[in-house]
Amino acid sequence: MNGKLYWKQKALLLFLHGCGMAALALFLRFNGENADSIILILAVWGTVLTVSLLTTYFTRKAQMDKLLALAGQLEERYLLPEMMERPVRADDQVYYQLLRLAGKSMLEQVSAIKHEQAEYREFIEQWVHEIKTPVTAMKLICENHRSDFSKDLLTELEKINSYTEQVLYYARSEHPEKDYLVREIRLFDVVHQAIAENKYLLLQHHIQIDLAETDDTVYSDEKWLCFILNQMIVNAVKYRTPSPTIWFYVEHTGNGITLCIADNGIGIRAGDLPRIFEKGFTGENGRNTSQAATGMGLYLCKRLCDKLDIGLTAASNGRTVFKLSFHINDFIHQVQS
Amino acid sequence: MAVYKIMIIEDDPLIRSELKNMLCGSGYDAVTVSDFGRTVEEIKKEAPQLILLDVKLPGENGFSLCSRIRTFSNVPIVFVTSCNTDMDELNSIMLGGDAYITKPYNTAILLAKIASLLKRAYPTEGREVISYRGTLLHLENGSLEFDGQQVDLTKNELKILYYLYKNAGRICSRSDLIDFLWDNRLYVDDNALSVNVNRIREKMAGIGLTDFIKTKHRQGYMI
Repeated sequence: MNGKLYWKQKALLLFLHGCGMAALALFLRFNGENADSIILILAVWGTVLTVSLLTTYFTRKAQMDKLLALAGQLEERYLLPEMMERPVRADDQVYYQLLRLAGKSMLEQVSAIKHEQAEYREFIEQWVHEIKTPVTAMKLICENHRSDFSKDLLTELEKINSYTEQVLYYARSEHPEKDYLVREIRLFDVVHQAIAENKYLLLQHHIQIDLAETDDTVYSDEKWLCFILNQMIVNAVKYRTPSPTIWFYVEHTGNGITLCIADNGIGIRAGDLPRIFEKGFTGENGRNTSQAATGMGLYLCKRLCDKLDIGLTAASNGRTVFKLSFHINDFIHQVQS
Repeated sequence: MAVYKIMIIEDDPLIRSELKNMLCGSGYDAVTVSDFGRTVEEIKKEAPQLILLDVKLPGENGFSLCSRIRTFSNVPIVFVTSCNTDMDELNSIMLGGDAYITKPYNTAILLAKIASLLKRAYPTEGREVISYRGTLLHLENGSLEFDGQQVDLTKNELKILYYLYKNAGRICSRSDLIDFLWDNRLYVDDNALSVNVNRIREKMAGIGLTDFIKTKHRQGYMI
């Protein structure tokens, strides 16, 4: 509580008391009272006034500080009206009632919006599943009637698939724990899967694939990992240079294993590097290539990696390298054996 | 080689017919179900060697159908679905499904899964050998035999020859060949393919086979 302001607002009261004191002193004086008794009366008045004002000030201040402290402790501050005690003063009770009303209407709004959002997310997920049926049908038609023409279509279908996957994983990334199946997976099986999903895109752009295949396994969710690799491959194709190559290899570190995806594309400017995982960040490359950069791919990758506890780093130094580092958890092996 | 019968249980008519075309084109006998009220009777009647089962079906869904099939048959079941939630995948495993593929599937992956499931469910005796014009391609040990002489092939060379033998007498375009190789995890480009084919030719010359693989200018290879 701002003390200065408080006393400023009491100025009128003090002034009236002053006037009252002066009037009383004059009145007593004319009635022939002596100075001593007038001073005594005024002193008593003054003391009573001071004590009462100071006690109200300090009790009010203590009350307000308590409320502020309570609000400070609460994680969800809008719940304050539910938590505070019902005040005793009549005007405070009006404020209390107003607070409760405001809080209640806001809670209603929040829950309505939450509900709406959940419904929206459900619809999006459902839509993604529905759109996959026609995409599958188109893919099958193309595969059954192979020509150069159908291969171009297949490339475009791969793009559609990768964009719809982005939508699906964005909708899901909020609550990934609902959709996890962690098991032992062979890293290069996922790499092969991701390449297969982008086969026509890679073939169309004459991308060389260089695999240093190993049998290393990690415990993670195959589907999510595949999505992440997918985005990396699409990026590598998007920002390619003539005679493009993508390398996949594994590095062993002290207590983990790192899957590296490297390409000899145009690279990422050092200034952009710290920001590439930000939502909507497109950077120099996104602006300069003819391809539309959404700034969503890497953001989603980072977000999923954080949820899956996979380290994701990028470096661009001649080659652009993305590193996915997994912890090797001995505990799982101990439990299994 | 026996022709396996595969039953497609899928409600989208276009996917159903295209899937059937694809499977027939890959040397399988494919049958479809269109009356989903009598699926189980159809399965009993047709007795397929493998079932492709969609999860979302009108009426009874794929999961409950699967558990019903399991009461009378151990036929391999591949779930094909557009819902790629892990719950569904778990369900499909728990209910006795053998594989789970999400739409839009890569047809090569689908075919590979089907082939490996069939191989596991119906082990065939005898070695896998393809013969053509007096040569024998031994798939299990990766070698080529001609006139009593053998030469070992690398994994990659075997994959290339396998495709050419499967399409013997026909021109295989380079891009179709590369397509096939990518499906089989061999990521070669045009130049690497030429290098590999030349190496195979050298090996063939070593056992007295010359001019076996012909180059059709601007079209591809042919044996």
